[in-house]
Amino acid sequence: MEELALASEITQYIKIRLGDEYFGIDIKFVDNIVRMQHITRVPKSASYIKGVINLRGEVIPVFSLRLKMGLEEIEETKQFRIIILKVEGESVGIIVDEVREVSNVSSDEIEKVFHNNAEGIQNFLSGVGKTENGLISLLDINEILNEKAL
Amino acid sequence: MDVSQYLDIFIDETKEHLQNLNTHILELEQDGENMDTINEIFRAAHSLKGMAGTMGYKRMQTLTHDMENVFSEVRNGNIKVDSDMIDLLFKCLDALEEYLTTIQETADEGTNDNEPLVKGLNDILESKNAKEEVKEEKKTKKSEKKSKKEANDKAKEKWHEIKLEESVKTVIREAVKDNFKAYGLSVYIQETCLLKAARAFLVFKALEELGEVVVSNPSAQDIEDESFAFDFSVIFLSDKPLDQIIAAIKNVSEIEEAIGGEIEIEIEEEVHEIEETVNEGVPAVANDSANQNAKAQVGQKAAPNTAVADKKNSGKPVVNRTVRVDIEKLDSLMNLVSELIISKNSLVSVAGSVVGSSNIAFNEQIEYLESVTTNLHESVMKVRMVPIENTVNKFPRMIRDLSKKLDKKMELYMTGEDTELDRTVVDEIGDPLMHLLRNSADHGLESAEIRAQRGKPEVGSIFLDAYQDGNNVVIEVRDDGNGIDIDKVKAKAIEKGKITQEMADLMSDKEAIDLLFQPSFSTSETVSDISGRGVGLDVVKSKIEALSGEIEVKTKLGEGSTFIIRLPLTLAIIQALMVVVGNEKYAISLGAIQTIESIKPDDIKKVQGKEVINLRGAVIPLVRLNRILDLEEKEETKRDLIVLIAKKGDRLAGLVVDELIGQMEIVIKPMGKYAGSTKFISGATILGDGEVALILDANALI
Repeated sequence: MEELALASEITQYIKIRLGDEYFGIDIKFVDNIVRMQHITRVPKSASYIKGVINLRGEVIPVFSLRLKMGLEEIEETKQFRIIILKVEGESVGIIVDEVREVSNVSSDEIEKVFHNNAEGIQNFLSGVGKTENGLISLLDINEILNEKAL
Repeated sequence: MDVSQYLDIFIDETKEHLQNLNTHILELEQDGENMDTINEIFRAAHSLKGMAGTMGYKRMQTLTHDMENVFSEVRNGNIKVDSDMIDLLFKCLDALEEYLTTIQETADEGTNDNEPLVKGLNDILESKNAKEEVKEEKKTKKSEKKSKKEANDKAKEKWHEIKLEESVKTVIREAVKDNFKAYGLSVYIQETCLLKAARAFLVFKALEELGEVVVSNPSAQDIEDESFAFDFSVIFLSDKPLDQIIAAIKNVSEIEEAIGGEIEIEIEEEVHEIEETVNEGVPAVANDSANQNAKAQVGQKAAPNTAVADKKNSGKPVVNRTVRVDIEKLDSLMNLVSELIISKNSLVSVAGSVVGSSNIAFNEQIEYLESVTTNLHESVMKVRMVPIENTVNKFPRMIRDLSKKLDKKMELYMTGEDTELDRTVVDEIGDPLMHLLRNSADHGLESAEIRAQRGKPEVGSIFLDAYQDGNNVVIEVRDDGNGIDIDKVKAKAIEKGKITQEMADLMSDKEAIDLLFQPSFSTSETVSDISGRGVGLDVVKSKIEALSGEIEVKTKLGEGSTFIIRLPLTLAIIQALMVVVGNEKYAISLGAIQTIESIKPDDIKKVQGKEVINLRGAVIPLVRLNRILDLEEKEETKRDLIVLIAKKGDRLAGLVVDELIGQMEIVIKPMGKYAGSTKFISGATILGDGEVALILDANALI
């Protein structure tokens, strides 16, 4: 049992939905999950940046994960959530269609995917994980927040 | 002993002492005989030595020790200050600064022994011996009775160095009338003594039983703080004989020596005598011819000397009741105040929105809370404010060095060193200012020959003026040099391929000067290490803009240029005007807005395709905020437009908004790197209802 634990690490992912696909976000980046609220538009910013919100006195930029990953924007539903990510001290909110649950993914259940230069979701994934409830694509948060890609 | 925990304090204090030394050595260069300055230098060098020794920095200790020796001889009047010596001393300070930098980086002083400097200092000390003999000879000529021994004793009678103010003299005269005697006493404590302040205290206590101490040098406060060498002098009033007093002092343990003498205050002569003792460092000679000589000398020197004395008195280290506080603690305090203001704002908006809540008492309390938070914010802001003094104090030294290096005569005049700015701004502003000063010294001021041709004084002047102007602090760097040669700038820009000849021809002078602020632009023909390294005014500009400030240039060819820097007083909380554009709320700093005008649509004229209005004789371009903010155009109505007249330097612009909400104290929040890159948005703020409103930077819109 111990050997097994050593060989494979369990990582927790927040399972989210975009359209009919499921994605996982490493829980270590997640600071908070909040409901949709009024977003103040920021003129002249990149198209996927929806604006800024007030989160307990801090002003945090929010962007649409759909637009960022090259998907169509859809009308806001009650399931919409803003996931507040904290990377290197900088907070950013991303809008997702729905937040499902926390999934445990063992490291030996992750299938690596390779980035290709083609446009699309592929570039933002770090791998595909198998869970009891099926496959989830694991998001590469650093790549998503990478300014060069913005 | 582990001293690493004291490292920060050591670094801080060493910096202060070095700055102190720099300033005073500069003063010394101007007035080589000012005893106050020399004492101050000696004390600073002594403290430095002690601190370096405690921290185990041997090389630093050796260097400061030798410097202290030199100062000690200067203080005793054995060495005269000359410019070679000043140069050497400055080099020593540079070396000490180097040690300090190394210590800051590695907690170790490094391995540079600075032997040439140590040797130089020792050379000065050795040459003194030769001089001393010459001096001795002179003295014997003046008054043959004086033996060398006596002369030494006289040098030890340091009470002669004490300056007697008029009030003190009155006290002494009164006392003398009452059969008291005025004594001068000098007390030497053993150099091995660990608690010299305590010993000094006991001496004072013993003295107070016998009479009254009128003046002490160093001051009682300095003695209490142990900021004196191993001796101090007092002027003492007593009806007891001198022997008894000396005996009482010597009763205190660890006292090396105590000497004293009676002081005669003559009603007419005392001014001259005292002046003379200050000048010469040796007591007045009763010899007739010498006295006349001295009088003549005093006559010449009296004016500057009294001026120095006055200055010194006002500049005496005032006992500051201060506490060192970590800047992070202040930041967190500031954040809390910001939170408080936000929550106050939401209380105000709740009070306004609850229908029928016309509770007068509640409103009064809200208003009271408002004034408290405003005051609280101001106080916290003041705590964070420091005078720019600490930053600009190093400039006179820099200009002196530049003057030697460039072989141009120049003088720096500074005013408003006590102007206060937010701590973070003061820390950041040093480099840009230094750059501008170097620029003035190198490019601005002409060589001596050209200055002579143009009928300007040989010594070039550079001015650094700081003052507060409303919610801004303005710092001006001005020189009386050549000014900016617009044609040269244009030619250079064409040569560098930044602009074309046609563009240059069409360019206004102002636009041409703006070229200077572009990256890697230097008009200097030769690249020197003083300026023109490619990192130029563009760096200055971006630094100042990063501090939410702005820079402007005024220049007149042949007469000089002025760089004007405007910086906001505070970075965190501002008074703003809330406006509505489209259906969005925006905040605009109230400081940027001059007036609010109501303009009829018919009054808008078109000049070169741009909308302008004529306001009381001034033609002002209009900026339609809804277009800039990518908002949908509202239908053209015949309604009057609300126009905010914004001012940047001497340029005006009219910002068209849809609605005014009112004035509000807002807290500026950064927007982070993802959303914060829009140029004319300087930040965001949280409104009373929790919504975020963006802050428009009026300056960027003009």
